[in-house]
Amino acid sequence: MINITEKNIIKKKSISVEFFYKQTKDRFKIKLACENDGLDRLIYDQNLHRPGLALAGFVDLFTANRVQVFGNTEMRYLDQLKSDDRKLALERLFNFKIPCVILTDANKPFEEMIHLAKKHKLPVFVSEYSTTKLSYLVSDFLDDQFAPRVSIHGSLVDVYGVGMLFVGKSGIGKSEVALDLVERGHRLVADDVVILTKKGEGILIGAGTELAQHFMEVRGIGFIDVRSMFGIRAIRFQKRLEVIIELEVWDKDNEYTRTGLDDSLFSLLDVEIPYIKLPIVPGKNITVIAEVIALNYLLKHYGYDAAKILQERLAQRLKKKGGEIGRVIDYFEHDFE
Amino acid sequence: MIEKEVKIINDAGLHTRPAATIVKLAAKFKSDLQITKDGITINGKSIIGVMTLAAEKGSSIHLTFEGEDEEEASETIIDYFNRGFDEL
Repeated sequence: MINITEKNIIKKKSISVEFFYKQTKDRFKIKLACENDGLDRLIYDQNLHRPGLALAGFVDLFTANRVQVFGNTEMRYLDQLKSDDRKLALERLFNFKIPCVILTDANKPFEEMIHLAKKHKLPVFVSEYSTTKLSYLVSDFLDDQFAPRVSIHGSLVDVYGVGMLFVGKSGIGKSEVALDLVERGHRLVADDVVILTKKGEGILIGAGTELAQHFMEVRGIGFIDVRSMFGIRAIRFQKRLEVIIELEVWDKDNEYTRTGLDDSLFSLLDVEIPYIKLPIVPGKNITVIAEVIALNYLLKHYGYDAAKILQERLAQRLKKKGGEIGRVIDYFEHDFE
Repeated sequence: MIEKEVKIINDAGLHTRPAATIVKLAAKFKSDLQITKDGITINGKSIIGVMTLAAEKGSSIHLTFEGEDEEEASETIIDYFNRGFDEL
């Protein structure tokens, strides 16, 4: 029922250096080394590059389209060159279309570097952080920016720490289930529009949109703001997606799982997520079932699979052959309760 | 499936009241309505979704109708867009 077409998937091709700078200057302690016009340059690649070899003159296979990180090694190398050679080495690099340069460990840019950066309109940044720390932070930031995202119609709730996405037709009661879960102490991530971002290889992180945040619509009432109504404990900004639950009106022709032995999975952005189809019938409390699904997911995660355990018990019993169907305790000793 | 690109032509853009009307109109039909803008696709029957688009005057959005009564649904809703949400 989740309809994923090309239209739902967003993938950034590039980000501007200006956007990168705005987002990271406080977090990564990055400063511009000099006033510069080159902030409209674009970053196309999420990887970083340390241009040691290129500075030394070997520019075959030089990955110019990456953010160039100058660590202590690069700076020390440039430092021991004569001014003219230093200019030559930097000019060779800056002639490529590189997005920007970051000096780490609060290294001071050389005069020649400032001069050439202005000439080429190339942004040069300086960070206080060490190369290792900065590389990790910038890689993580760029990974997130270039990660594929998908928008989905549903409600994402953190139930006992398990990220559960409720999907289903409009009006089936996704928001009501989410609200009921919040009432019971669980936390709303997003209602109606959920944006899932792929992190690394097997992880999807869900969040709401900037405009809607934790507002939701309840049929017959209108808009409510879950954050101001239930407080900070009732919300969170993001959560890893772990289970998808599709709500649907009971269909007698459809087969619903009875044992839980065979997990069905749903593939979203090439990540396989456990998927449960839940029929809605009168007298069935979806909220409680959602909690049970979360608890069962946690049990499985910690190594206890109820369906498998019961299956094994039956298999053991069948091997023994014979014997009657006994009670759980053979003899209730003077227990008249 | 019927797909159509429409423009927002009223001054105030797609604000709360027209969003509510679109959702109500869409809910009358069995067909699904998906609305896409800037790479985000939302369900046209959810008001928070429609508001999330924040479609201002002059922007264009993409409508996708799918279902047994898609013809009727698309006519009704596209007409409402073309009338500038009756705010012209």
